[in-house]
Amino acid sequence: MKRFLTWWTEERRAYLLLVLPGVLVYWAVMAFPTVFSLGLSMTNYNGGVIFGNPNIQFVGLKHYMRMFNDQYFWISLKNNGLIMAVSLFGQIPLGFLFAYVIHRKLIKFGSFFQTTLYLPCVISTIVVGRLWQAFFSPYGPFTKFMQRFQPGWENELAYDPKLAIIPVLFVILWMYTGQYMIIFLANLQKIDPSLIEAARIDGASEWQVLTRIMFPALSGVIVTSAILAIAGSLKSFDLIYAMTSGNPARRTSVLALYMYDTAFKHSPNYPLANSISMFMVLLSFTLIVLVRITEARFGGREE
Amino acid sequence: MRKLNVLLLAALLVVGVFVPAALAQDEKITITVLHYFDLTAPGSEREIEEIWHEFSRRHPNIIVEREDLFLEAFHQKVEAYAAADRLPDVVFMWPGGRSTSLHTQHLVKDLTPLLGEDAKYFNPAVLAPQAAGYLAELPQTMTSSHALYVNVPLLESLGLSIPETYEELVAMVPVIKGAGLDVILMGATDDWVIQSCLFSMIVGRLVGDEKLNQIIAGEAKFTDPEFVGALEFYAQMYKDGVLDRKIMNINYSEVNGLFASGRAPFMIDGDWKTANFLTDVTTGEALIPVDEQPNFKMTIFPAIPGEIVHKSSSGVVGTGFGMSSKIPDGSAKEAAAWELIKWLQGPEAQKLRLETAGTIPSRIDVTSDQLEPLVNERIRYYEDIEVYTAVLDNVLEGEVYLPLNVGLQEIGLGLATPMEVAERVQEALEAWRAKK
Repeated sequence: MKRFLTWWTEERRAYLLLVLPGVLVYWAVMAFPTVFSLGLSMTNYNGGVIFGNPNIQFVGLKHYMRMFNDQYFWISLKNNGLIMAVSLFGQIPLGFLFAYVIHRKLIKFGSFFQTTLYLPCVISTIVVGRLWQAFFSPYGPFTKFMQRFQPGWENELAYDPKLAIIPVLFVILWMYTGQYMIIFLANLQKIDPSLIEAARIDGASEWQVLTRIMFPALSGVIVTSAILAIAGSLKSFDLIYAMTSGNPARRTSVLALYMYDTAFKHSPNYPLANSISMFMVLLSFTLIVLVRITEARFGGREE
Repeated sequence: MRKLNVLLLAALLVVGVFVPAALAQDEKITITVLHYFDLTAPGSEREIEEIWHEFSRRHPNIIVEREDLFLEAFHQKVEAYAAADRLPDVVFMWPGGRSTSLHTQHLVKDLTPLLGEDAKYFNPAVLAPQAAGYLAELPQTMTSSHALYVNVPLLESLGLSIPETYEELVAMVPVIKGAGLDVILMGATDDWVIQSCLFSMIVGRLVGDEKLNQIIAGEAKFTDPEFVGALEFYAQMYKDGVLDRKIMNINYSEVNGLFASGRAPFMIDGDWKTANFLTDVTTGEALIPVDEQPNFKMTIFPAIPGEIVHKSSSGVVGTGFGMSSKIPDGSAKEAAAWELIKWLQGPEAQKLRLETAGTIPSRIDVTSDQLEPLVNERIRYYEDIEVYTAVLDNVLEGEVYLPLNVGLQEIGLGLATPMEVAERVQEALEAWRAKK
């Protein structure tokens, strides 16, 4: 009891008082549903009351097996992979490049380009999706434009199942690059200009400034961006839903859309949808851990 | 707020009209009604006044105790009433779907004997047996999920006329494509469109409802030659150039403008598509202006080689009112309840719904002079249809028609063969049956 009283200081009480609400809310709306979803994914629960439902049975990994045997799961996973590749190796490098060019004033009208590049991020995703869907449509401006140079050109891009994902990837690149540019720009501005000046006086080239000063200073930001990109690619849904709904023939589907179709369209299959969401959570965790390890091993230190 | 006002008004009317009337005479018959009704919908005030109150004025000896509910609240109440064995005398119902238990447990009567001679006023298609094989509700409308829309002047400008057979349609392909146009437009990005608006009709023609019911019951298979044949015919449409893979990248609303602007002489869609071409009451603008609407015709798909059902389209009947089977046969109460049901699908009520909501009447004697030409064309289109066959997503479970929906797109894109799709659908059907 005495030990408890010494432990139960005012500081601890204040700490608990401040932290507890946040922790409780987090547990209630994030952690608990995730764990609960894991449980549900191993049962046959498909709607109705959860507690006291006599029909709920434990079915093990049945739904995971079904998921792995479904070709549309693999198509969706592959598309998520492509989106992730575009985010990691397209958006982040491009975002950095734009930020660097603007920050180092290598071009004029920096703030104009900054605004223009960031603009897609503030437009509603649904609007963006419908806009580009119309643009790439077989009757849209893109087709007309191409036909100007090559009469009779057929817009295979729109409905060739192998190519159909390309317009989606392009729009994702167009839409989110600005976001990373802003993140990089903000962090580039934090780097002490005298450091760069000193390097230049010592005879360092622009390339050396970039690789020896900027990159190490930004490694933390790059990791953060990579995590954002991975998480963002795994949950990408709205843009694709508005642009293609995952069609033609599910060839532009992604995991989140595959889960949505399973859970809410036609006949709901909640256990399978739960399995898909659990898979997404695990995949995201694994990838983020991988990024962390990579950073710990090869990344520089901030400051 | 408006909803509250309407509710208050309704409550006042109930108190004002029915209570004094109930006190005045006791030999009156009381009919309880459970109505699926959106009080906030445009035209709902007119419906209360011109349909429900008018009925009470015309039949002072019948007291109607109406309960209006909408969406889930309605369905839950029906379930609760049915479970408590206290179903209201007259109840709003679907021909299947969410009302299936009312049908299959015979909680409502077969209306055919009551309808008797009056059947002649209804389109024969709407009186077809429903979920449990009898006429449990009297439908107020019907929908044909397939229609071939024709831009007549465009077709005639190419020296062509509406085809009677599939062969004639195929012969038109080089002429239409030569003019730089597409043959048939469909907004088929969403996977249900081909299945609902085209393939259900093909199955109706080549397989027939009888065989389809056998397949669903497990007495036949989707992999039987008839169903595979229907899929093969559909695949053939791409080879013949009648359909284009492009349709799978045309959005369901994008197709409206394309067809209205004459990108193709034909379009396949549900009959409900007409609504998208009409004049918008708020802007006064229309995709197809009223004076151009007579240029557009609706017809059924031409005769398919080897079809066993002719001049058919796929369709579903609409909702309507059923009568509780608790009411004794031949009683005064039955007569009163029937009087109400008959009135609710009478010419006055259907005319009102046609004008306020564009609901296509199930009666053949309802017209209105307030309609745009395309709505009249839609009503006339029903005369072309001699047989209605099932809409696949109306008779199959979601998990069974889902592989079909996607499979139809895959066939079109050359990603799957008809047999592969048939096998997948059969597999899904067997999995669904095993689960049950």
